[in-house]
Amino acid sequence: MPELRKDPILGRWIIISRERRKRPTDFPTHITAGTGGFCPLCPGNESSTPPEVLAYRHEDLPQDGPGWEVRVVPNKFPALIIEGNLCKEGLGMYDRMNGIGAHEVIIESPDHEESFADLSSQRMSLVFQAYKERIIDLEKDSRFKYVMVFKNHGKAAGASLEHSHSQLIALPILPRMIVSELEGAKAHFNHKERCIFCDIIRQEQQLFERVVCQNDKFITITPFAPRTPFEMWILPKKHSANYCSQSAEDFQELSELFSETLKRLSACIANVPYNFVLHTEPLRSGGLESYHWHFEIVPKLTSIAGFEWGSGFYINPLPPEEAAAYLRESWPEPSVGVKDEKDSAC
Amino acid sequence: MKKILLVDDEESIQLVYREEFEDEGYSVISAVNGETALELFKNERPDIVILDIQMPGMNGIEVLRKMKILDSSVPVILSSAYQEFMRDLGTWASDDYVVKSGNLEDLKSTVQKLLVT
Repeated sequence: MPELRKDPILGRWIIISRERRKRPTDFPTHITAGTGGFCPLCPGNESSTPPEVLAYRHEDLPQDGPGWEVRVVPNKFPALIIEGNLCKEGLGMYDRMNGIGAHEVIIESPDHEESFADLSSQRMSLVFQAYKERIIDLEKDSRFKYVMVFKNHGKAAGASLEHSHSQLIALPILPRMIVSELEGAKAHFNHKERCIFCDIIRQEQQLFERVVCQNDKFITITPFAPRTPFEMWILPKKHSANYCSQSAEDFQELSELFSETLKRLSACIANVPYNFVLHTEPLRSGGLESYHWHFEIVPKLTSIAGFEWGSGFYINPLPPEEAAAYLRESWPEPSVGVKDEKDSAC
Repeated sequence: MKKILLVDDEESIQLVYREEFEDEGYSVISAVNGETALELFKNERPDIVILDIQMPGMNGIEVLRKMKILDSSVPVILSSAYQEFMRDLGTWASDDYVVKSGNLEDLKSTVQKLLVT
């Protein structure tokens, strides 16, 4: 019989359809078409992008030239523009405001062929450091309320260039999804005086069945009510609402676990397209007790059709406990180890 | 006389653009698909290209990336009726992006600007 599961933070219902249960090999394999040709993100083609806002390269090398490890540039054709005042007005019962915002592209490697999962942990740490530096910089702009960092990997997930990159959008409003997450977390905190994410981590470590892998500082789980097969969350074990509070050492550990998580996913389903999104507290929130920053990785394995649009319910053909088991067993060097009930969340 | 290569599968668009740009003193050559456009790009050596995105067969972004390998110094303007293609980073290989409209002033000034620089 199908099972309905409620996301404890958002209150969103998910249908786990055991009748449609699938194994990893039942999902179609997606291969990004290698279109080749000129790549505006490759070293040597820096003039094809707007001037960089951040780059990690040797200090003797000039800006906007090759020799970089990670490079951040504004969007060449932005939908939201950074110049101008934020004018809000009412049009009868409707609201509108100017399209003020920042849209940046984080070029994750000078190597055109290297995927995010293939990055060395040192380079992946630099990518995470770049996210942090850009969020801190954009936070100084009082027009912005939230910075969303996301990645599309594979054509089916929305990536239009093979060269590995992620994106960042600074917004003058809080996205509805983040508002719902903050409200759900706050409601739990008001009731229990504990962070709901810390409670989730604690319970998942005790139950163990949805734990994919972990290290000293971070844990990857398949959430209780996932929208898609193999949806995963990566969370810091220690309570922290603000991604920017992480140190270089934290990013090193995060990189190691992130890389392992993606390699486990790839070992289950080769060339799987996915999106990941950083969830962190709104700008200038001061470190919320009720919220917990994390990454959500959502593989693109099922489509959103009329039922999902109309009902808001997602149908997931793979229970997260089974997905976690596949992911744990998929990798030749399991790091999950034995169940450790002493390892508390916060 | 500066030579424009105009690539668009809509013949009515070609007619309008040709008339407007020839009136401005440009020479205009045209193609209705990516394959022909690449041949003309190699053989006719245009000074600038105006390239549609949505075309049957090879789309404009694929054509753009091949043109930039052949000769990256020739400016290419992507021109589409759809603003949402701007979210596709494949457009970044282009020198500019102009949303199609009945008023060609934006396109004309972009052509002028790119031919000067």
